[in-house]
Amino acid sequence: MDAEIREMNLHNPDEFEQWRSFLSGLGIANFTADEVDPLDGTIGLFEGDRLMGTGSYSENVLKYIGVCHKTSENGAYFNKIVSTLLTQLGQQGIFHVFVFTKPQYSDSFQHVGFQEIVHSESAAFLETGPTSITDYLAQIPKFAGESAAIVMNANPFTLGHRYLVEAAAQQSAHVYVFVVSTDKSLFNSQERFEMVQAGTADLKNVDVVSGSDYLVSYATFPAYFLKSDKSRVRYQTTIDALIFKERIAPALNITTRYLGTEPHSETTNVYNEVLESVLPPTVRVKIIPRKETAGKIISARDVRLAIKDNRLESLDTLVPKTTATFITEHRAELQERIRKGMKIDGN
Amino acid sequence: MEIKKTAMDGTLESSDIQITVSKGTDGVQIDLTSDVQERFGAQIKQTIAAVVAAFDVDNVNVKAVDQGALDCVIKARTITALQRALGTSAEPAWEVL
Repeated sequence: MDAEIREMNLHNPDEFEQWRSFLSGLGIANFTADEVDPLDGTIGLFEGDRLMGTGSYSENVLKYIGVCHKTSENGAYFNKIVSTLLTQLGQQGIFHVFVFTKPQYSDSFQHVGFQEIVHSESAAFLETGPTSITDYLAQIPKFAGESAAIVMNANPFTLGHRYLVEAAAQQSAHVYVFVVSTDKSLFNSQERFEMVQAGTADLKNVDVVSGSDYLVSYATFPAYFLKSDKSRVRYQTTIDALIFKERIAPALNITTRYLGTEPHSETTNVYNEVLESVLPPTVRVKIIPRKETAGKIISARDVRLAIKDNRLESLDTLVPKTTATFITEHRAELQERIRKGMKIDGN
Repeated sequence: MEIKKTAMDGTLESSDIQITVSKGTDGVQIDLTSDVQERFGAQIKQTIAAVVAAFDVDNVNVKAVDQGALDCVIKARTITALQRALGTSAEPAWEVL
């Protein structure tokens, strides 16, 4: 029977149920309604009314790919699903595409041109498109000798971040500061990058680089692998830690990674734990206690709350001058983003 | 000619080839994934390189994911992807065909 690709609308309860029961028949279960919301598109491959394959995407990440092989030739439906998704993304100008999948499906994706970045016992992470992690690493300035590294979102760059960078810069010949690229923060990735650059410009042995797509956002990881939110963070950060250990650190000769303690964030604590268990001995982990001001640790969250409540005079104790200037100049726009619903109470 | 943007043509279905072309800095680079790489890899790359040469493109990265496409399909997909990337899809490339 000829199979036909159709768009699926998961907000339609009947279609959602057909989709959900199809995927759970393939062992892809445990996902929740809030995982469906961020999907930008879902396609189904139908034989008549029967769903035989499906795939979705959220930004540049393919998700929920499931195919029934009962009636199709070896891989034909899988290829058709992946192909249609790549074409749809290509029409939107998105050619660099990622997928998280179970390790046993890594070969199927490699067969259609994906390259594996890393895999763990429970998940594999692959990419396809005109650029790859090799190109990303090639364009980062190289330092002769060993380097240290810090990864930060810097939403925004605070005196706490500054303290961490300074400590690393004093103890190391050279420091890379990777700024997370994912745009899910009050300050967008370019703004955060510029604030980190401005705030560390006086430290001569520090290079600020973009984390690009390779320091992965927690938001992109599909929770159907997992039982709880906590284990979601653990799986996600294991992949993240493996990318750092197996791909980034060897290419840039990074031998130490600096972390800040995070007394108030469960997510960051789990992240730190995973990094400590995955990175050594290839990469040493050094944890620096968080900087305090007036007996209270400095947190980017407090800065965002101050912006929301228009208490900009309090910024001087929390952020370097460079960040304060940026915030003062962009106050109206930042407050507008918060009014429009940008979440500011996360990490 | 110079590549203006990344563009793609073709599918991952049997007998087809998916070609993605993007701006390059290091001549004509062809990255091929194919089941028949060992027997026909060189020939597939040669077909792609010939089309690129006919368009007079100096620096380009071509990613090709082949599922057993015939020469004429490889040629057609490469032409379409290149024309999209060059922004010349409206003008038929008679001299290449």
